Amino acid sequence: MGKIMILNGSPRAPISNSKQYAEIFARFCKIETVYHNITKTNHNELCAGMSGFSDVLFVFPLYADSLPVGFLDFLKTLENNPPVNKPTVSVLINCGFLEPEQNKVAVQMIELFCRRNSYVMGSVLMLGSGEAILKTPFKYAAVRAIRNLAVSVADKHYNTFNATMPLSKKMFCLAANIHWSLYGKKFGTTKKQMQTMRIEG
Amino acid sequence: MKLILSDKPLEISTQLGERSAYFDLSSMKISNCVGCFGCWVKTPGRCVIRDDATMIYPCIAESDSVLYVSRIRYGGYDTVMKTMLERAIPVQQAFIRIHCNETHHVQRDVVPKRAVIVAYGAVDEEECDIFRRLVARNAYNMCFESYDIIFVVESMVNETVKQILDKWEKS
Ligand SMILES: Cc1cc2nc3c(=O)[nH]c(=O)nc-3n(C[C@H](O)[C@H](O)[C@H](O)COP(=O)(O)O)c2cc1C
Repeated sequence: MGKIMILNGSPRAPISNSKQYAEIFARFCKIETVYHNITKTNHNELCAGMSGFSDVLFVFPLYADSLPVGFLDFLKTLENNPPVNKPTVSVLINCGFLEPEQNKVAVQMIELFCRRNSYVMGSVLMLGSGEAILKTPFKYAAVRAIRNLAVSVADKHYNTFNATMPLSKKMFCLAANIHWSLYGKKFGTTKKQMQTMRIEG
Repeated sequence: MKLILSDKPLEISTQLGERSAYFDLSSMKISNCVGCFGCWVKTPGRCVIRDDATMIYPCIAESDSVLYVSRIRYGGYDTVMKTMLERAIPVQQAFIRIHCNETHHVQRDVVPKRAVIVAYGAVDEEECDIFRRLVARNAYNMCFESYDIIFVVESMVNETVKQILDKWEKS
Protein backbone atom coordinates (compact mmCIF):
# COMPACT_ATOMS: atom_id res chain seq x y z
CA MET A 1 0.00 0.00 0.00
CA GLY A 2 1.36 3.42 -0.94
CA LYS A 3 1.59 6.53 1.18
CA ILE A 4 1.68 10.11 -0.06
CA MET A 5 3.77 12.96 1.34
CA ILE A 6 2.17 16.33 0.53
CA LEU A 7 4.60 19.26 0.59
CA ASN A 8 3.32 22.82 0.41
CA GLY A 9 5.80 25.15 -1.32
CA SER A 10 3.79 28.37 -0.94
CA PRO A 11 5.68 31.22 0.79
CA ARG A 12 2.55 31.77 2.87
CA ALA A 13 1.91 28.08 3.38
CA PRO A 14 -0.12 28.22 6.62
CA ILE A 15 -2.71 30.57 5.07
CA SER A 16 -2.29 29.62 1.41
CA ASN A 17 -4.63 28.49 -1.32
CA SER A 18 -2.18 25.61 -1.74
CA LYS A 19 -3.02 24.47 1.78
CA GLN A 20 -6.70 24.35 0.92
CA TYR A 21 -5.95 22.47 -2.29
CA ALA A 22 -3.87 19.98 -0.29
CA GLU A 23 -6.75 19.48 2.15
CA ILE A 24 -9.15 18.73 -0.70
CA PHE A 25 -6.60 16.29 -2.14
CA ALA A 26 -6.26 14.51 1.21
CA ARG A 27 -10.05 14.33 1.59
CA PHE A 28 -10.45 12.50 -1.72
CA CYS A 29 -7.36 10.34 -1.46
CA LYS A 30 -7.99 6.68 -0.73
CA ILE A 31 -4.53 6.10 0.71
CA GLU A 32 -2.74 7.71 3.64
CA THR A 33 -1.40 11.25 3.23
CA VAL A 34 0.98 13.20 5.44
CA TYR A 35 1.09 16.99 5.03
CA HIS A 36 3.96 19.43 5.67
CA ASN A 37 4.60 23.08 4.93
CA ILE A 38 8.07 23.65 3.49
CA THR A 39 9.76 26.20 5.77
CA LYS A 40 13.22 27.76 5.69
CA THR A 41 14.43 25.40 8.39
CA ASN A 42 12.90 21.98 7.72
CA HIS A 43 14.42 21.06 4.33
CA ASN A 44 16.76 18.35 5.60
CA GLU A 45 14.11 16.77 7.76
CA LEU A 46 11.66 16.61 4.84
CA CYS A 47 14.29 15.19 2.48
CA ALA A 48 15.18 12.42 4.91
CA GLY A 49 11.53 11.67 5.63
CA MET A 50 10.67 11.23 1.97
CA SER A 51 12.10 7.70 1.86
CA GLY A 52 9.09 6.25 3.62
CA PHE A 53 6.64 7.37 0.93
CA SER A 54 5.61 5.88 -2.41
CA ASP A 55 4.61 9.31 -3.72
CA VAL A 56 5.25 12.96 -3.03
CA LEU A 57 2.84 15.72 -4.10
CA PHE A 58 4.30 19.21 -4.44
CA VAL A 59 1.56 21.83 -4.02
CA PHE A 60 2.68 25.36 -4.83
CA PRO A 61 1.72 28.62 -6.58
CA LEU A 62 3.19 30.08 -9.75
CA TYR A 63 5.53 32.98 -8.89
CA ALA A 64 6.87 35.17 -11.70
CA ASP A 65 6.09 32.43 -14.22
CA SER A 66 8.07 29.79 -12.33
CA LEU A 67 8.73 28.22 -8.91
CA PRO A 68 8.54 30.36 -5.74
CA VAL A 69 12.12 30.92 -4.65
CA GLY A 70 11.71 29.19 -1.27
CA PHE A 71 10.51 26.07 -3.05
CA LEU A 72 13.39 26.31 -5.54
CA ASP A 73 15.75 26.36 -2.55
CA PHE A 74 14.07 23.25 -1.18
CA LEU A 75 14.64 21.42 -4.49
CA LYS A 76 18.30 22.41 -4.36
CA THR A 77 18.57 20.89 -0.88
CA LEU A 78 16.75 17.78 -2.06
CA GLU A 79 19.21 17.43 -4.94
CA ASN A 80 22.09 17.38 -2.46
CA ASN A 81 20.30 15.19 0.11
CA PRO A 82 18.39 12.56 -1.84
CA PRO A 83 16.23 10.10 0.10
CA VAL A 84 17.30 6.45 -0.01
CA ASN A 85 14.09 5.46 -1.79
CA LYS A 86 12.82 7.99 -4.28
CA PRO A 87 9.05 8.50 -4.42
CA THR A 88 7.11 9.28 -7.60
CA VAL A 89 6.67 13.06 -7.92
CA SER A 90 3.27 14.63 -8.65
CA VAL A 91 2.46 18.33 -8.88
CA LEU A 92 -0.54 20.51 -8.01
CA ILE A 93 0.27 24.02 -9.18
CA ASN A 94 -2.05 27.02 -9.13
CA CYS A 95 -1.71 30.45 -10.67
CA GLY A 96 -3.64 33.69 -10.32
CA PHE A 97 -4.40 34.21 -14.00
CA LEU A 98 -7.21 32.45 -15.83
CA GLU A 99 -5.19 30.23 -18.14
CA PRO A 100 -3.91 26.99 -16.53
CA GLU A 101 -1.32 26.77 -19.34
CA GLN A 102 0.54 29.68 -17.79
CA ASN A 103 1.82 27.07 -15.30
CA LYS A 104 3.47 24.96 -17.97
CA VAL A 105 7.04 26.24 -17.70
CA ALA A 106 7.05 25.65 -13.94
CA VAL A 107 5.92 22.07 -14.52
CA GLN A 108 8.68 21.62 -17.10
CA MET A 109 11.17 22.79 -14.48
CA ILE A 110 9.95 20.07 -12.10
CA GLU A 111 10.16 17.51 -14.90
CA LEU A 112 13.75 18.56 -15.55
CA PHE A 113 14.54 18.26 -11.84
CA CYS A 114 13.04 14.77 -11.82
CA ARG A 115 14.92 13.56 -14.89
CA ARG A 116 18.21 14.88 -13.54
CA ASN A 117 17.71 13.35 -10.14
CA SER A 118 16.11 10.06 -11.19
CA TYR A 119 12.63 10.62 -9.83
CA VAL A 120 9.68 9.22 -11.78
CA MET A 121 7.18 11.91 -12.66
CA GLY A 122 3.56 11.10 -11.73
CA SER A 123 0.44 13.24 -12.17
CA VAL A 124 0.13 16.97 -12.78
CA LEU A 125 -2.77 19.33 -12.10
CA MET A 126 -2.49 22.87 -13.42
CA LEU A 127 -5.09 25.21 -11.91
CA GLY A 128 -5.87 28.64 -13.33
CA SER A 129 -7.73 31.36 -11.38
CA GLY A 130 -6.31 29.70 -8.28
CA GLU A 131 -6.25 32.81 -6.11
CA ALA A 132 -10.03 33.03 -5.96
CA ILE A 133 -11.72 29.93 -7.38
CA LEU A 134 -12.49 28.33 -4.00
CA LYS A 135 -14.41 31.44 -2.94
CA THR A 136 -16.67 31.39 -6.01
CA PRO A 137 -19.52 29.23 -7.35
CA PHE A 138 -16.86 27.67 -9.61
CA LYS A 139 -15.26 25.90 -6.68
CA TYR A 140 -16.68 22.66 -8.06
CA ALA A 141 -14.32 22.83 -11.07
CA ALA A 142 -11.26 22.89 -8.80
CA VAL A 143 -12.64 20.24 -6.44
CA ARG A 144 -13.47 17.89 -9.33
CA ALA A 145 -10.00 18.25 -10.81
CA ILE A 146 -8.30 17.71 -7.44
CA ARG A 147 -10.42 14.59 -6.88
CA ASN A 148 -9.30 13.26 -10.28
CA LEU A 149 -5.72 14.04 -9.33
CA ALA A 150 -6.06 12.25 -5.99
CA VAL A 151 -7.58 9.15 -7.60
CA SER A 152 -4.87 9.07 -10.28
CA VAL A 153 -2.04 9.21 -7.74
CA ALA A 154 -3.61 6.68 -5.36
CA ASP A 155 -4.29 4.24 -8.23
CA LYS A 156 -0.94 4.94 -9.88
CA HIS A 157 -2.76 5.78 -13.09
CA TYR A 158 -0.78 8.97 -13.47
CA ASN A 159 -2.26 11.64 -15.70
CA THR A 160 -2.28 15.36 -16.45
CA PHE A 161 -5.24 17.60 -15.57
CA ASN A 162 -6.25 21.24 -16.03
CA ALA A 163 -8.97 23.31 -14.42
CA THR A 164 -10.04 26.92 -14.15
CA MET A 165 -13.15 29.08 -13.85
CA PRO A 166 -15.44 28.49 -16.82
CA LEU A 167 -15.43 32.18 -17.76
CA SER A 168 -14.45 34.17 -20.82
CA LYS A 169 -11.27 36.21 -20.38
CA LYS A 170 -13.33 39.38 -20.31
CA MET A 171 -15.68 38.10 -17.61
CA PHE A 172 -12.72 36.83 -15.61
CA CYS A 173 -11.10 40.29 -15.65
CA LEU A 174 -14.36 41.80 -14.47
CA ALA A 175 -14.80 39.26 -11.66
CA ALA A 176 -11.13 39.45 -10.62
CA ASN A 177 -11.25 43.22 -10.48
CA ILE A 178 -14.30 43.16 -8.21
CA HIS A 179 -12.53 40.58 -6.03
CA TRP A 180 -9.43 42.81 -5.71
CA SER A 181 -11.45 45.99 -5.07
CA LEU A 182 -13.22 44.27 -2.18
CA TYR A 183 -9.89 42.93 -0.91
CA GLY A 184 -8.51 46.49 -0.82
CA LYS A 185 -11.64 47.79 0.87
CA LYS A 186 -10.99 45.46 3.80
CA PHE A 187 -7.83 47.47 4.48
CA GLY A 188 -9.50 50.82 3.88
CA THR A 189 -7.87 51.20 0.46
CA THR A 190 -10.01 52.57 -2.36
CA LYS A 191 -9.97 51.29 -5.91
CA LYS A 192 -8.47 54.59 -7.02
CA GLN A 193 -5.64 54.25 -4.50
CA MET A 194 -4.99 50.70 -5.68
CA GLN A 195 -4.78 52.02 -9.23
CA THR A 196 -1.97 54.45 -8.47
CA MET A 197 0.64 54.51 -11.21
CA ARG A 198 3.34 55.58 -8.74
CA ILE A 199 5.94 53.16 -7.48
CA GLU A 200 7.56 53.80 -4.07
CA GLY A 201 6.39 57.35 -4.47
CA MET B 1 17.57 54.75 -17.87
CA LYS B 2 19.63 51.60 -18.24
CA LEU B 3 19.80 48.99 -15.49
CA ILE B 4 22.15 46.12 -14.82
CA LEU B 5 21.18 43.52 -12.23
CA SER B 6 23.59 40.71 -11.54
CA ASP B 7 23.67 37.78 -9.17
CA LYS B 8 27.46 38.03 -8.92
CA PRO B 9 29.93 40.94 -8.83
CA LEU B 10 30.85 42.26 -12.29
CA GLU B 11 34.00 44.13 -13.34
CA ILE B 12 32.24 47.00 -15.05
CA SER B 13 32.25 50.05 -12.81
CA THR B 14 34.39 52.15 -15.19
CA GLN B 15 32.12 51.41 -18.10
CA LEU B 16 28.88 52.74 -16.69
CA GLY B 17 27.47 55.72 -18.53
CA GLU B 18 25.20 58.42 -17.18
CA ARG B 19 21.68 57.39 -16.36
CA SER B 20 22.80 53.82 -15.74
CA ALA B 21 22.51 51.84 -12.56
CA TYR B 22 24.23 48.64 -11.58
CA PHE B 23 23.31 46.44 -8.63
CA ASP B 24 25.18 43.35 -7.51
CA LEU B 25 22.24 41.57 -5.92
CA SER B 26 24.51 39.08 -4.17
CA SER B 27 25.83 41.87 -1.93
CA MET B 28 22.40 43.26 -1.02
CA LYS B 29 19.83 42.48 1.62
CA ILE B 30 16.76 41.22 -0.18
CA SER B 31 14.41 38.81 1.52
CA ASN B 32 11.80 36.56 -0.04
CA CYS B 33 8.39 37.84 -1.06
CA VAL B 34 5.90 36.51 1.47
CA GLY B 35 2.91 36.74 -0.86
CA CYS B 36 0.98 39.17 1.37
CA PHE B 37 -0.22 41.38 -1.54
CA GLY B 38 0.35 44.42 0.70
CA CYS B 39 1.87 46.20 -2.33
CA TRP B 40 -1.51 45.90 -4.08
CA VAL B 41 -4.07 46.34 -1.31
CA LYS B 42 -2.49 48.06 1.72
CA THR B 43 0.26 50.37 0.45
CA PRO B 44 -0.23 50.27 -3.32
CA GLY B 45 3.09 50.50 -5.19
CA ARG B 46 5.20 49.95 -2.05
CA CYS B 47 6.40 46.66 -0.63
CA VAL B 48 5.80 46.25 3.09
CA ILE B 49 9.26 44.68 3.52
CA ARG B 50 11.58 47.71 3.73
CA ASP B 51 14.87 46.20 2.57
CA ASP B 52 17.16 46.81 -0.44
CA ALA B 53 14.57 45.54 -2.94
CA THR B 54 12.66 48.81 -2.49
CA MET B 55 15.60 50.60 -4.17
CA ILE B 56 15.60 48.27 -7.14
CA TYR B 57 12.05 47.77 -8.34
CA PRO B 58 11.56 51.50 -9.06
CA CYS B 59 14.70 51.28 -11.25
CA ILE B 60 13.29 48.24 -13.05
CA ALA B 61 10.13 50.22 -13.76
CA GLU B 62 12.01 53.31 -15.00
CA SER B 63 14.46 51.55 -17.31
CA ASP B 64 14.06 51.21 -21.05
CA SER B 65 16.98 48.78 -21.22
CA VAL B 66 17.76 46.11 -18.68
CA LEU B 67 20.60 43.62 -18.49
CA TYR B 68 20.04 40.71 -16.13
CA VAL B 69 22.91 38.36 -15.31
CA SER B 70 21.91 35.14 -13.60
CA ARG B 71 22.86 31.57 -12.98
CA ILE B 72 20.27 29.14 -14.33
CA ARG B 73 18.75 26.44 -12.17
CA TYR B 74 16.35 23.77 -13.48
CA GLY B 75 15.65 26.00 -16.46
CA GLY B 76 14.76 29.07 -14.37
CA TYR B 77 16.59 31.91 -12.63
CA ASP B 78 18.61 30.76 -9.63
CA THR B 79 17.86 32.01 -6.11
CA VAL B 80 19.48 35.46 -6.08
CA MET B 81 17.85 36.84 -9.24
CA LYS B 82 14.56 35.01 -8.67
CA THR B 83 14.24 36.54 -5.20
CA MET B 84 14.51 40.04 -6.69
CA LEU B 85 12.11 39.34 -9.56
CA GLU B 86 9.46 38.15 -7.10
CA ARG B 87 9.94 41.31 -5.02
CA ALA B 88 9.21 43.45 -8.09
CA ILE B 89 5.44 42.91 -8.07
CA PRO B 90 4.72 46.39 -6.58
CA VAL B 91 5.25 47.67 -10.15
CA GLN B 92 1.99 45.99 -11.10
CA GLN B 93 -1.56 46.61 -9.94
CA ALA B 94 -3.84 43.91 -8.59
CA PHE B 95 -6.19 44.57 -11.48
CA ILE B 96 -6.23 42.26 -14.46
CA ARG B 97 -6.51 43.01 -18.17
CA ILE B 98 -6.31 41.06 -21.40
CA HIS B 99 -2.84 41.38 -22.91
CA CYS B 100 -1.68 39.37 -25.94
CA ASN B 101 -4.85 37.31 -25.64
CA GLU B 102 -4.06 36.21 -22.06
CA THR B 103 -5.01 37.59 -18.67
CA HIS B 104 -2.23 39.67 -17.05
CA HIS B 105 -1.92 42.42 -14.46
CA VAL B 106 -2.22 46.10 -15.29
CA GLN B 107 1.23 47.72 -14.97
CA ARG B 108 1.86 50.91 -13.03
CA ASP B 109 4.30 53.46 -14.47
CA VAL B 110 6.53 50.88 -16.13
CA VAL B 111 8.54 51.85 -19.21
CA PRO B 112 8.46 49.23 -21.97
CA LYS B 113 11.93 47.79 -22.19
CA ARG B 114 14.51 45.92 -24.18
CA ALA B 115 15.97 43.14 -22.09
CA VAL B 116 19.23 41.27 -22.43
CA ILE B 117 19.67 38.25 -20.23
CA VAL B 118 23.09 36.72 -19.74
CA ALA B 119 22.38 33.24 -18.48
CA TYR B 120 25.21 31.09 -17.18
CA GLY B 121 25.47 27.61 -15.73
CA ALA B 122 22.89 25.87 -17.94
CA VAL B 123 23.76 22.19 -18.15
CA ASP B 124 22.26 21.19 -21.48
CA GLU B 125 20.13 22.33 -24.41
CA GLU B 126 16.94 21.12 -22.71
CA GLU B 127 17.59 23.48 -19.82
CA CYS B 128 18.27 26.37 -22.22
CA ASP B 129 14.97 25.62 -23.95
CA ILE B 130 12.98 25.79 -20.72
CA PHE B 131 14.69 29.07 -19.89
CA ARG B 132 13.80 30.48 -23.33
CA ARG B 133 10.15 29.58 -22.68
CA LEU B 134 10.31 31.17 -19.23
CA VAL B 135 11.68 34.46 -20.55
CA ALA B 136 9.04 34.46 -23.28
CA ARG B 137 6.41 34.25 -20.53
CA ASN B 138 8.17 36.87 -18.37
CA ALA B 139 8.08 39.23 -21.34
CA TYR B 140 4.30 39.58 -20.97
CA ASN B 141 4.49 40.34 -17.24
CA MET B 142 7.67 42.40 -17.19
CA CYS B 143 7.00 44.74 -20.11
CA PHE B 144 9.77 43.39 -22.37
CA GLU B 145 9.23 44.81 -25.87
CA SER B 146 12.07 42.65 -27.07
CA TYR B 147 14.68 40.45 -25.48
CA ASP B 148 17.89 38.58 -26.18
CA ILE B 149 19.11 35.64 -24.17
CA ILE B 150 22.81 34.91 -24.25
CA PHE B 151 23.88 31.58 -22.77
CA VAL B 152 27.49 31.53 -21.61
CA VAL B 153 29.79 29.56 -19.36
CA GLU B 154 30.40 31.29 -16.06
CA SER B 155 33.97 32.29 -16.95
CA MET B 156 32.67 34.30 -19.93
CA VAL B 157 30.16 36.41 -17.99
CA ASN B 158 32.35 39.51 -17.55
CA GLU B 159 33.56 39.51 -21.13
CA THR B 160 30.00 39.12 -22.44
CA VAL B 161 28.68 41.92 -20.22
CA LYS B 162 31.47 44.23 -21.43
CA GLN B 163 30.52 43.59 -25.05
CA ILE B 164 26.86 44.35 -24.33
CA LEU B 165 27.74 47.59 -22.53
CA ASP B 166 29.94 48.63 -25.48
CA LYS B 167 26.98 48.08 -27.75
CA TRP B 168 24.72 50.08 -25.42
CA GLU B 169 27.24 52.95 -25.43
CA LYS B 170 27.30 53.07 -29.21
CA SER B 171 23.54 52.84 -29.68
C1 LIG C 1 5.41 37.42 -6.10
C2 LIG C 1 4.23 36.80 -6.79
C3 LIG C 1 4.34 36.42 -8.11
C4 LIG C 1 3.25 35.84 -8.78
N1 LIG C 1 3.42 35.49 -10.09
C5 LIG C 1 2.37 34.99 -10.78
C6 LIG C 1 2.49 34.67 -12.16
O1 LIG C 1 3.56 34.84 -12.77
N2 LIG C 1 1.40 34.20 -12.80
C7 LIG C 1 0.20 34.00 -12.17
O2 LIG C 1 -0.77 33.59 -12.81
N3 LIG C 1 0.06 34.27 -10.84
C8 LIG C 1 1.13 34.75 -10.14
N4 LIG C 1 0.99 35.03 -8.80
C9 LIG C 1 -0.30 34.74 -8.13
C10 LIG C 1 -0.28 33.43 -7.32
O3 LIG C 1 0.15 32.35 -8.11
C11 LIG C 1 -1.69 33.16 -6.80
O4 LIG C 1 -2.11 34.23 -6.01
C12 LIG C 1 -1.81 31.86 -6.04
O5 LIG C 1 -3.17 31.57 -5.84
C13 LIG C 1 -1.11 31.92 -4.68
O6 LIG C 1 -1.21 30.62 -4.11
P1 LIG C 1 -0.89 30.32 -2.58
O7 LIG C 1 -1.96 30.99 -1.77
O8 LIG C 1 -0.95 28.83 -2.47
O9 LIG C 1 0.46 30.85 -2.27
C14 LIG C 1 2.04 35.62 -8.10
C15 LIG C 1 1.92 36.00 -6.77
C16 LIG C 1 2.99 36.60 -6.11
C17 LIG C 1 2.84 37.01 -4.67
